Amino acid sequence: MQYPDNGGYMVAAYVVAAVVVLVYAVSLFVRLRKASR
Amino acid sequence: MMREKAEALARRGSLLTAVALLALAGVYVRALIFTPIERFQGPAQKIFYVHAPAAWSGLMAFAITGLLSVLYLWLRDRRADLVAAASAEVGLTFSVIMLTTGPLWGKPIWGTWWTWDARLTSTLFIFLLFVGYQVLRGAITDPETRARYCAVIGILGLVLVPFIHMTVYLFRTLHPDPVVLKPGSPSLPGNMLVTLLTSFGVFTLLYLGFLAQRYALGVLRDLNDEEAGRAVS
Repeated sequence: MQYPDNGGYMVAAYVVAAVVVLVYAVSLFVRLRKASR
Repeated sequence: MMREKAEALARRGSLLTAVALLALAGVYVRALIFTPIERFQGPAQKIFYVHAPAAWSGLMAFAITGLLSVLYLWLRDRRADLVAAASAEVGLTFSVIMLTTGPLWGKPIWGTWWTWDARLTSTLFIFLLFVGYQVLRGAITDPETRARYCAVIGILGLVLVPFIHMTVYLFRTLHPDPVVLKPGSPSLPGNMLVTLLTSFGVFTLLYLGFLAQRYALGVLRDLNDEEAGRAVS
């Protein structure tokens, strides 16, 4: 079956979502370590 | 004692976040490899499986901030303010995903990155409202004044949440109608629906993990400030 060729947008969206989630998770981890000292 | 409790909550939150991140990797595999490609929209339709759950988590977070803000103004309980602030920050994170994946889906399907229709504009508005919430929290040093002012913004955000959900019914908009959160049965084939609902669950789990960590951070910072204050006096 022929599909529209727009896979690049899909990849970009999944990468952006993963980066945002991971950056926030790391930021929480770092801030918690600082506050726990 | 409070410190030990906060640190224990932070550990539990970190564990929950780690589990949720692993589950998110599972959602990626399921969505990208095992979920069929939609016939007319092509691969870009799969953006739906991160965009809609991120929107759900973001708006849920803002609604919880609003509810906790009401609770704070009613009971003047410091914990309500700290949970509200934590939820607002986590909500902003999910909103960033919603506002970046949305245009990435819109460009190939609508032919434009952005349009100033009611759904998109009101979503941007609530995002900016909670950016303001964060700026205000950073600008006011007195904890009670800060909590009171921020609670008012939180409640304004809560009012906006149902309005944003209803915009697709109240106005002519390019944004599609809800496929799950609507009267009647979901309008999505079974395989796609399972992927979407799994993603909703994982994003909710991620929200809870982040919330627990961020709340613990707020408590620890408060305790650090109190200790610093006592050391000076």
